[in-house]
Amino acid sequence: MRLSTRIRAVALASAGLFLAAACGGGGGTTNSNMAPPDKQILRANDGTEPNSYDPTQQTYSYEAAVGRNVFEALLKPNAELTDVKPAAASKYDVSSDGLTYTFHLRTNAKWSDGKPVKASDWVYGYQHLLNPALAAGYVDPFFDGTIKGAENYGSIDVTSASAIDAFIAGLGLKAVDDNTFEIKLQHPAAYFKWVVTLWMAAPIRKDVVEAAAGGSFTSSDTTKPLAWANDAKTIIGNGPFKISEIVSKDHVTMVPNPGYWGGAPHLQQIIYYFIADGNTAYSKYQTGALDIIGVPTADITVVRGDPVLSKQAHLYPQLTTFWMSFNSTKAPFDKAAVRMAFAKSIDRIKLTKDVRHDTDQPIQSFIPKGMAGYDTSDNAQAYDPAAAKKLLSDAGVTASQLNSFKLLTRNTTGSKTVNQFIVDQWNTNLGLNIQLDVIDSKTVTSRIRKGQFDIYGPDGWGADYPDQQDWFDIFTSGACHSLNWGCATIPGYDDLVKKANTELDQTQRNKDYLTAHKMLIDNAVVAFMYQAYEYDLVAPYVNITQTSFDDQNLPGDQNWQTAYITNH
Amino acid sequence: MAIPVALEQAIDWEIGEHQIGLWQDAWQRFRRNRLAVLGAALVLLLVLIAFISPLLVHFGLIIDPLKQQVEQIEVGPGIAGHPLGTDELGRDTLSRLMYGSRISLSVGILVQGIILPIGLAIGLAAGYFGGRIDNLLMRFTDIWYAFPDLIFVLVLVSVFGPSLLSIFGAIALVNWVGLARLVRGQVLSIKEKEFIEAARSSGSAPLKLIVKHLLPNSLGPIIVTLTFGIPQAIFLEAVLSFLGVGIQPPTPTWGQMVFDGYEAIYANPTSVVFPALAIGFTLLAFSFIGDGLRDALDPRMRR
Amino acid sequence: MAVTAGRPNRGALLPSRVSALTGSRAGSLTIFIVRRVLWMVPIVFFVILITFFLMHLAPGSPWDKDAGRQLSQVVVNNLNAKYGLNKPEYQQFLIYLWNAIHFDFGLSYQYSGKSVIKLIAEGWPYTATIGVLAFLLIVPVGVGLGVLAALRQNSRIDYITMGFATFAASFPNFVIGALMVVVFSVLMAKWTQRAFFLPAADFGLDDHLIMPVITLSLLPIAYTARLTRASTLDTIRQDYIRTAWAKGLSERLVVIRHILKNSLIPVVTTLGPTFAFLVTGSIIVETVFNIPGIGRAFVTAVSSRDYPMILGTTILFSVIIAIANLVVDVLYVFIDPRVRLT
Repeated sequence: MRLSTRIRAVALASAGLFLAAACGGGGGTTNSNMAPPDKQILRANDGTEPNSYDPTQQTYSYEAAVGRNVFEALLKPNAELTDVKPAAASKYDVSSDGLTYTFHLRTNAKWSDGKPVKASDWVYGYQHLLNPALAAGYVDPFFDGTIKGAENYGSIDVTSASAIDAFIAGLGLKAVDDNTFEIKLQHPAAYFKWVVTLWMAAPIRKDVVEAAAGGSFTSSDTTKPLAWANDAKTIIGNGPFKISEIVSKDHVTMVPNPGYWGGAPHLQQIIYYFIADGNTAYSKYQTGALDIIGVPTADITVVRGDPVLSKQAHLYPQLTTFWMSFNSTKAPFDKAAVRMAFAKSIDRIKLTKDVRHDTDQPIQSFIPKGMAGYDTSDNAQAYDPAAAKKLLSDAGVTASQLNSFKLLTRNTTGSKTVNQFIVDQWNTNLGLNIQLDVIDSKTVTSRIRKGQFDIYGPDGWGADYPDQQDWFDIFTSGACHSLNWGCATIPGYDDLVKKANTELDQTQRNKDYLTAHKMLIDNAVVAFMYQAYEYDLVAPYVNITQTSFDDQNLPGDQNWQTAYITNH
Repeated sequence: MAIPVALEQAIDWEIGEHQIGLWQDAWQRFRRNRLAVLGAALVLLLVLIAFISPLLVHFGLIIDPLKQQVEQIEVGPGIAGHPLGTDELGRDTLSRLMYGSRISLSVGILVQGIILPIGLAIGLAAGYFGGRIDNLLMRFTDIWYAFPDLIFVLVLVSVFGPSLLSIFGAIALVNWVGLARLVRGQVLSIKEKEFIEAARSSGSAPLKLIVKHLLPNSLGPIIVTLTFGIPQAIFLEAVLSFLGVGIQPPTPTWGQMVFDGYEAIYANPTSVVFPALAIGFTLLAFSFIGDGLRDALDPRMRR
Repeated sequence: MAVTAGRPNRGALLPSRVSALTGSRAGSLTIFIVRRVLWMVPIVFFVILITFFLMHLAPGSPWDKDAGRQLSQVVVNNLNAKYGLNKPEYQQFLIYLWNAIHFDFGLSYQYSGKSVIKLIAEGWPYTATIGVLAFLLIVPVGVGLGVLAALRQNSRIDYITMGFATFAASFPNFVIGALMVVVFSVLMAKWTQRAFFLPAADFGLDDHLIMPVITLSLLPIAYTARLTRASTLDTIRQDYIRTAWAKGLSERLVVIRHILKNSLIPVVTTLGPTFAFLVTGSIIVETVFNIPGIGRAFVTAVSSRDYPMILGTTILFSVIIAIANLVVDVLYVFIDPRVRLT
């Protein structure tokens, strides 16, 4: 019985809020009104406690919010999200055939215990991530069509240490010397530079892991290799911060990592709380006990109307789109015209302005605003109830065929509210009588994985990195039952996407993805609804110098090393 | 020395000149209890509302509880023609309350109707027979207490489907244990009283005696448990619907309205207060009836 | 082990009260307790059995995520292998039992690498503190109000108690908690320019405890008060009360000696499980006030299908409730001296 308003997501660089970044913190811009070091404490609501503090095992935004600060990947996205820029690696080369990536590591990079970061640590980290026995949650981008030797990740016998050892030894990972890390790929993949920016791709210290495990262990051991991440003292990372304290179910505290190559941050403490209840976080903010929270949906109008709070609230666009999914294997949803009729009967403006309180923005296409591929030229799914009705009748579909259908809904307030509105729209505009089916969230997931639904939503996707490959793979026929819940198949789509994924010429890729984009919209594979925007309250004395799409859960959480507190 | 009011009322000052039947007597006393009558009237009013609200909607006397007006989300009472305000989709709170009485009253009352016989039977059996039967039954309730109700409900619904029956069944099955233990305790404390011994030696069947003396003498706590069970059941229905076992939105129920209103407590506090008040009224009404019933059935209460 | 009634096997003229601690009664009390403790073993076993198979029957697996990215089938297979979920159910059950006997209750699925015991041990002190404090508030206030309302039936105090009880029962405690936070934290912070206000959330051994404890206690106080009132009213009308009154004892003696002790049976019956529920936490209070206790653990374990955690928390609760009911049954003997143990 949880009454939580969970705030999800992936945030995005917002032109209006982006100030000149002080790269690497420390010696950058200072403000004479800066608070003294003992007051440089930031308290934010991360929402949910991470399942693990081992970065390779972290899957969700609230986990990456910690992992990104304690560990650093080889590269990171630049501010405009057009390309990657150096992070833990000072530069990288790609061979002409696109199969070998060579990363030149920073020579002044140090772990939080002072030891230098070596290429062998990177090799160990990637091997740790790709160990099938550890079952990392989000390891797919590293074996599915990318790293050489990893293709068979899914078929290794995890009980056999020798099988695992052989698999790991065969991976295309090499420490050429202490400062050079080389990765070989299965075939060219222009988006791989983005994959290495993910938070799971972190270096790990073998000696730390083994010490915490009490000695060496076999590769089929599922618990010993993860023991190091259970205690703040043994979590040694290469990021700008390190974990000083973990209080289970309550908060995690981070302090500056003295060895970080980018210099010392202004913030001396970052405390992430795990408050699931929106009202609780909101109350804490109002009494000055929290500095950054996501505004609960129900309170958005209150905040907007409050003279003080409205000045502290900001809208942050995210690279996240939401849609409704139809089960394309179930007649009459196998007809594109029927799906299109449903897509055209949703008044997106009312949905976003009223029901979503004017935070999210309506969208009728797939790729969200802010990344390459955003394109609004195709209006096929635009709101037009008359045209929608005509589509239905032209297809010869009657209400009786559809009235037994149910909209599968997760038992969260957000889902229930949006879906009640959407069903009302369909029933009013198309003359139907579709009912909701509100079910416990796990059961919903297990049903959609088996394809046991008629309509499901709100479904969506938040970018892991701003490359279109991350998006278009969702609707391939191979993703049926794993992301393409409706199992829609469009002739030519799979091949087109595969071509675009492996193509090295960026212009050609963009062209191909655009064609695929139109395919998705015109076939009404799903009904696109809105792009998510986060509405957050940030205390006036908190200065976030840079927000990035990478921000996992809170505005600016990828660049805390440049943030600071002013006197208050 | 002052005589406490309660004792004064309890003392049998007069000896009745004629005998009347227990039930007739009880009914007369009930009627004379102003609060009890008030409670009964309130309940009748609620039942009436439950019955006629679809008609009222049909004839346009109240706004359709399912009609969404997203321009009027979470408005306060009295605004835009909504006497009690609106909810998170702009639906009228008053009509949702009236409509919701149908489900919530049924759930609240009927569930107690299921719990009563189960709890009574098991409690009576355990207390009266004692010995091994008591032990087994009570250990059974220990296990039932420890039961993770949520899982049980999830499984129940995945097997029987989210029908009204599975909801009633789920709530009742989860909540009968308290009543059973209460009844058992009462029976135990009654069992060895002198008048039981006396009646036993005079040949009356002990079970009938327990029931005849249990009823007037220790009905109080049982009635309180049942009346408190009503709002409990109403909220449990909301919890169940949260698990997807239950009344599906957009059909309004008081419990769900309270849960949904909680989220908007800063935006529109009345959206949580009004349904809670409705539940409160119901509880109050049944409490008055319950008190009146107990007073009415007590043979020693003479006015 | 049953608690049965029986008359003392001495003459009827002797006083019916027998001190619970003399001679053979102490012995039989000890045996009674020992036998009940032994009964906990089969109870826990059945609880594990039923819970185990029920939870595997519940739809949804631990790896079905609530929202956002779902795990690929490859990862799911590996996770199932990692936690032994790919074995047949009866085998998993036996393995679990074997480990449980050695006090190894497994690792939680929600927190990588953390054992169930560690999680419960970490969270319980918070929960227990608030629960015990609430209980210490509930007993005197609830019983006291109830007795008062009964003695002054239909007076103002009676109606106030009834009104309070109705309020507490019709507003679920998360609403009450939230309303308290709105008034005593947010609004007070606003009105006093953050000089005086209660903290909105979190645990602390200071004024942080006030609102959670009160929120947790309100409904039990209401129920206990009404229950005590009803039971006291029933008792007041008994013959022997009238007899005692007729003997001329002062009102105080009558009240304390007879009424209280004899009306406490139903109250004690419900206070036992109430204590068990309080001390294993309330998810609602812990969520609203963000307390890192184990109250939430029960519910989040079910909604996450964290099987080891479900079993761990259920076993804990079953032991506590069995102990609580045992204490209740022992208290019956002390309250009503004629009750005898067999």
